[in-house]
Amino acid sequence: MSIKVKLHPILQKLAGGQEVIEVTGHNTGECLEDMESRFPVVKQMVRDNRGQLRRYCSVLVNSKSTYPNELTTPVKDGDQIDIMILVTGG
Amino acid sequence: MPKLEDKDRHMLTKNDLTRYGRQILYTDFGEEGQKKLKQSHVVVAGLGGLGCSASLYLTCTGIGHITLIDCDRVELSNLNRQILHYEEDIGEGKPFSAAQKLAKLNSSIEITPVFKKITECNARGLIEGANLVIDGMDNIETRFILNKACVAEGIPFIHGGVHGLFGEVTTIIPGRTPCLACIFPEIPHRKVSFPVFGVTPALIAILQVTEAIKLLAGFGSLLTGKMLYFNGDTMDFTFHNLVRNRNCKVCGTKEV
Repeated sequence: MSIKVKLHPILQKLAGGQEVIEVTGHNTGECLEDMESRFPVVKQMVRDNRGQLRRYCSVLVNSKSTYPNELTTPVKDGDQIDIMILVTGG
Repeated sequence: MPKLEDKDRHMLTKNDLTRYGRQILYTDFGEEGQKKLKQSHVVVAGLGGLGCSASLYLTCTGIGHITLIDCDRVELSNLNRQILHYEEDIGEGKPFSAAQKLAKLNSSIEITPVFKKITECNARGLIEGANLVIDGMDNIETRFILNKACVAEGIPFIHGGVHGLFGEVTTIIPGRTPCLACIFPEIPHRKVSFPVFGVTPALIAILQVTEAIKLLAGFGSLLTGKMLYFNGDTMDFTFHNLVRNRNCKVCGTKEV
């Protein structure tokens, strides 16, 4: 099963410049863990000390918000997960 | 500052035709587009890096009425990016500092400086009647207050944000497009100093004004339902598509 994780530009910098990463998993949490195992620095940016998603991050599946099931939403072959970060400066 | 009479807003003067002549030449815009800009009222919320550059180009392009809102005073640390504030303005309220420069640039439009903090209580009143709100905020909380107020008032909101050499833009049209709360349902509470080069908000603000011109004049396609990202490290522009959240706490009850 092939799922694509598309990273926010700030996260791309932490993932060796990659915008899209192919992962495997049955839900968003498993897919993120697969990606994070390869790029631990990304994990520090998107998760807090308890492993919860930081509130300035958002997880979309096929462009739709997964809130409040950001880490448990089921995914299927061909889906795309977007990890977004709210850029706050002005 | 001279105020435009209502009758004057509906016609272009000889000076207007000369001043805006080069943009009037743009086929999809023309004199009708210029009239629409002249009749428009745009609120610029925040007079920092984004708001300064945005209001500068809104002024150049001939928006009939611009309201400038900020509650901060000019500091030395602002001057690497907030291009309407000069050394002599340190200590001055940002809306007044900005309005003074903009009035010299274009005396034929109306500029209203408002030295106030935007809150849940006053946000709707501050933007009421405007055709458009430009997001020039430097914090999450006020962005979400504005997002909610714009949805409630049915006013388009052009979001911009910057961090270092990264920036983002999306155009939110209440009832038609996702709002900020569709994507970020929980508002993160944090106030941190963010890194930024002056060029990043300048670029993002110009993209916001480009959206404003098209939206107000009614031509071109907009950044609706998608977030445009600029990555200054790599000079890439990328998109993330966005879809409305029917259960959104802010806009979920609006017509989809």
